[in-house]
Amino acid sequence: MSDSRGRISRQQPNRLQRLGVVDRSQPLNFQFDGRRYGGFAGDTVASALLAAGVRLVGRSFKYHRPRGLLTAGSEEPNALIELRGGARREPNTRATVAELFEGLEARSQNSWPGVGFDLGAVNSLLSPIFVAGFYYKTFMWPAALWEKLYEPLIRRAAGLGRATHEADPDSYDKFHAFCDLLVIGAGPAGLAAALAAGRSGARVILCEEDFILGGRLNGDRQLIDEMSGRDWVWQIEAELRSLSGVRILPRTTVFGAYDAGLTGARTYGALERVCDHLAVPPAHRPRQRLWKIVARHAVLAAGALERPIVFGDNDRPGIMTGAAVRTYLNRFGVAPGRRAAVFTCGDDGWRTAADLKHAGVAVEAVIDSRTEADPALVRAAELGGAQVLLGSQVVGTAGWQRLSRITVRGGGRTAQFSVDLLAVSGGWNPNVALSTHLGGKPRWSAGLSAFVPGDLPRGMSVAGACGGAWALGDALREGAKAGAQAATAAGYAAGSIPSWSCAGERVGLTPLWHVESSTGKAFVDFQHDVTSEDVALAAREGYRSVEHLKRYTTLGMATDQGKTSNLNGLAIMAALTERSIPSVGTTTARPPFTPVSIGALAGPHRGKHFRPTRLTAGHDWAKERGATFVEAGQWLRAQWFARSGESSWQETVSREVRAVRAGVGVCDVSTLGKIDIQGADAAAFLDRVYINVFSSLPVGKSRYGLMLREDGFVMDDGTTAQIAKGHYLMSTTTANAAGVMQHLEHARQILWPELDVQIVSVTEQWAQYAVAGPKSRELLQRLLGDALDLSDGAFPYLACAEFSWRNVRARLFRISFSGELAYELAVPARFGDAAIRAIMSAGASLDVTPYGTEALGVMRIEKGHVAGNELNGTTTATDLGLGRMMSRKKDFIGRVLAERPGLTDPERPALVGIRPVDGSARLYAGAHFLQIGATPSLENDQGYLTSVALSPMLGTWIGLGFLRRGPERHGERIRAFCPIRGGDAEVEVVSPVFFDPQGARLHV
Amino acid sequence: MSDTTFTWTPRSPLADAALGSTAAPGSIAAPGSIAGLPAVAGVSAVVRDGFGLATVLARKGASAALAARVRERFGIDLPGGPRRDAAAGVAFVGTGPGAWLAIAERGGNEFAETLRRELDGVASVSDQSDGYVLVRLTGSRVREALAKLAPIDVHARAFEAGATASTVASHIGVTLWRLEDEPGAGPVFEIVMFRSLAASFWHALAEAGAEFGFAASAP
Repeated sequence: MSDSRGRISRQQPNRLQRLGVVDRSQPLNFQFDGRRYGGFAGDTVASALLAAGVRLVGRSFKYHRPRGLLTAGSEEPNALIELRGGARREPNTRATVAELFEGLEARSQNSWPGVGFDLGAVNSLLSPIFVAGFYYKTFMWPAALWEKLYEPLIRRAAGLGRATHEADPDSYDKFHAFCDLLVIGAGPAGLAAALAAGRSGARVILCEEDFILGGRLNGDRQLIDEMSGRDWVWQIEAELRSLSGVRILPRTTVFGAYDAGLTGARTYGALERVCDHLAVPPAHRPRQRLWKIVARHAVLAAGALERPIVFGDNDRPGIMTGAAVRTYLNRFGVAPGRRAAVFTCGDDGWRTAADLKHAGVAVEAVIDSRTEADPALVRAAELGGAQVLLGSQVVGTAGWQRLSRITVRGGGRTAQFSVDLLAVSGGWNPNVALSTHLGGKPRWSAGLSAFVPGDLPRGMSVAGACGGAWALGDALREGAKAGAQAATAAGYAAGSIPSWSCAGERVGLTPLWHVESSTGKAFVDFQHDVTSEDVALAAREGYRSVEHLKRYTTLGMATDQGKTSNLNGLAIMAALTERSIPSVGTTTARPPFTPVSIGALAGPHRGKHFRPTRLTAGHDWAKERGATFVEAGQWLRAQWFARSGESSWQETVSREVRAVRAGVGVCDVSTLGKIDIQGADAAAFLDRVYINVFSSLPVGKSRYGLMLREDGFVMDDGTTAQIAKGHYLMSTTTANAAGVMQHLEHARQILWPELDVQIVSVTEQWAQYAVAGPKSRELLQRLLGDALDLSDGAFPYLACAEFSWRNVRARLFRISFSGELAYELAVPARFGDAAIRAIMSAGASLDVTPYGTEALGVMRIEKGHVAGNELNGTTTATDLGLGRMMSRKKDFIGRVLAERPGLTDPERPALVGIRPVDGSARLYAGAHFLQIGATPSLENDQGYLTSVALSPMLGTWIGLGFLRRGPERHGERIRAFCPIRGGDAEVEVVSPVFFDPQGARLHV
Repeated sequence: MSDTTFTWTPRSPLADAALGSTAAPGSIAAPGSIAGLPAVAGVSAVVRDGFGLATVLARKGASAALAARVRERFGIDLPGGPRRDAAAGVAFVGTGPGAWLAIAERGGNEFAETLRRELDGVASVSDQSDGYVLVRLTGSRVREALAKLAPIDVHARAFEAGATASTVASHIGVTLWRLEDEPGAGPVFEIVMFRSLAASFWHALAEAGAEFGFAASAP
């Protein structure tokens, strides 16, 4: 019969001429481990390697045993390869799902120097000690060796491929989709469901992990309505594509089921491998796309995975699942071997034998562990030339790096067969994972000898093999019904449910989990090298609970999450401990169903785009001026404006401070929060949120205010102005702007809904510049002309005004953070750029100097003004030296809890100024205060430094901090100790106001 | 007194964005593209200018009076939910209980002053004409570009003309609404975001639209 197995080319000796749906008009070249091979479009790396005669594709994780392909799908535990090179190198790609493309490069993993001769295989000789729990037992002591010796050693030996260290050159995308019905899996059940719902007009998303639709119909030879499965799939797919409500997503894995919203629609995560099948994605196409799908209903039609049988040396290359053999034959047109045997415990294995025969592969034997099989099946196999061995089991295999012989025992006899392919059929496990992500437990079906979905999450139903409907006709019926029901539930008229006819099938099975009489390592978990003996050891040592079994042996903990191994492990444990399988339990499947790359989860939010950036209206101007920017939350603020010739940022900052204090400077303060507060009760509202009184604030005036959290600690500070009658404008710190807004909304909506008060953030509406220094009035008067009289009498300290300036509505506030005569000028943000340029131009002859946040910080420390470092969530108004502001005549948020004993304790550290005794010594924020001579310890801790600066006005470092009974200790010498940065200085406790303590410079 | 002369030159936060550029549409057959859509690629964005925009917040107990005043002065039925209603170049967009964005096609900062006068006693008004950037989006693939940015359903049946939503787009707070389709241009959406975030939004929008061909223009 060998003439029917035609050879396409020298490179593809196992390619079958008349089978498969690969595109033979599109030959592709690729490399594996440096050797060149050929394949076709439509191949996976696995099918192309198999076509080329490559059986050995990797080494196992622990014992470095030679491994070949076990499956043809995403459940593959063995064939993990490193794909691509350079920055696109990715480890642990399953060869069974990696689509072939021209020029593809792949390498085997976990072997050195090569997959054919691997030094690590020596581990196999040491296997008696590499048993379950080995790491726990061996590497426990001495603990000091863990990091230095054991872990690097284990990691080197156990590495599953190498990730690239280069930045990912590709882009990733996110997509939010909504639908009436999400169909998970485009096999016969899924296609039927999508069609039934899609015809009604419902919005349907059909996700298929594979790059072609059809599921098992691609790998099997069944007929539907007398046409081939493939033809049927093409026909259905064409109709689905014609329906405007249907979106088909091939190469898309639904990897997780998540919460449902108020409407009951549930969210699913899916990964679309948009361009994984191309060498390089085309311009503007993402490599992968993360889908967040909100579906009113989902039909889980994820099919079933065939399970292997555990027997001695069952991992030799050439031993694969029966379904994989059929897929390679029928879909890819590849013969996985030349002389085959089938080992089965159910009717499904006989189908594999028939397909092998159909493809022209000699079937030497069909070994069925059952003592009886359907006579028609037996007759067909015997007619094909196979020996039929009922009541028999494969007890051993032999071969160097690939299968060459199997040993079969049954009925008291032992026989050997020379085969290079063994198709193993242990029955099917429904792909229940997605049904369990929300806590549902699978249900054991004794009739099916498998776990099926148990309690389903609301909004999910199951159709086809995923629910145990093995027969094609049942899968089609269930799918169509589920799709129609979902459409009806969503309010669409589903019409008549589509139906198709197909031949009946035999799906009988008597499960065989483990060939106990076999010798040699019998692998349960191929990817983690867990054997039946490891399971037995766990049972002997008392790790009998399924969760203990898993952790002790690592069964099912590899990247495949035990898709081919979990149930076999459970069944062996059940037998050893004389329990039923369901009483041993199941472990929980968690998202993701298959691995999801970090790049896809990050999507476009990489690097600088990790989060949005906020820019002020004056940003471009500051950039032109050579500003160095600092991140303040999402904002970018000018930190300082270095001039050429300046050798350090401190030199720059000191120059900016001196320029402000001697003349005039300008600083962009647009980032401070601005909140409009209006309504008849606005003043009463302010009285309740600030500790000090605002109802007495006249129109045209600003006042400094401090607000507490409900727990009595300080929340934020700032000024609030009454710019027009009943119209207040609150300013907040940049850092707390959103938090204060939320706090006020809570107060308005929840605490005092009876008040007539309306609040809204107007931060973004206004560009605002602080103009500070003795010459600030002169500058502004030049700029504003007769729009506003700035004389001290007409516009005194804390005055504010809204006025028309050259036909633009502007605002001016006489407030100061620097301690100098200062103003803040606000204009609508679109004119922010024009305004800063106008300020610079008006102040040119005054040598106006732009300054950044650093100079701002130095000046506020010189003035003892508290800021974020002091408003750190652990300080009270009294700690900050602002206790006197707390009104006794009114209630306000935080008043009661601020009076707790712990918060009024006079021993609490309170605000002081700090100067080094040695004028050249440096201070470090974060340093702790100690009595001189005291041992650095928690008991001796007296407080800490919060803010430090090199003061250009004083010529030394200065600082603000909180010291126990600090205000009483001015003049005392203590120690500021910072072991982290090596700071240790004797310092003097002084008033926090270092510069112009009388405030004379404000009132000029 | 004044010895400086200058003119108020407004500057858009998107002044440096690559307005007018067109990215080529993806050149391969898109797996997952919606069946039946025309092959013509397209997301077009126009940055609007010259509009007046203000927040309108109902005074305590004055919702009915406010609705009556808006109907009387602007001929608009004040939306009681996430809807937009417009007449004679002015629109009210519901953004929350007792909260609206009022938008005038023209008028700039003066629009807020007009509103403040017209709604005196029944609403608190705050000018936000400069606080928000308004982008109009059109094109046959605009819904797909939006789907990459925002976690809301903008399907024609789920988000009808006049529907509005306050949501996040690429981690940026936005309010968007759908206008009547423009013949030949497909669906039309308008989206506003805080001015300081406009450049980040623009980057995200251009990335989202590039696959379908992204054309942008200043007014």
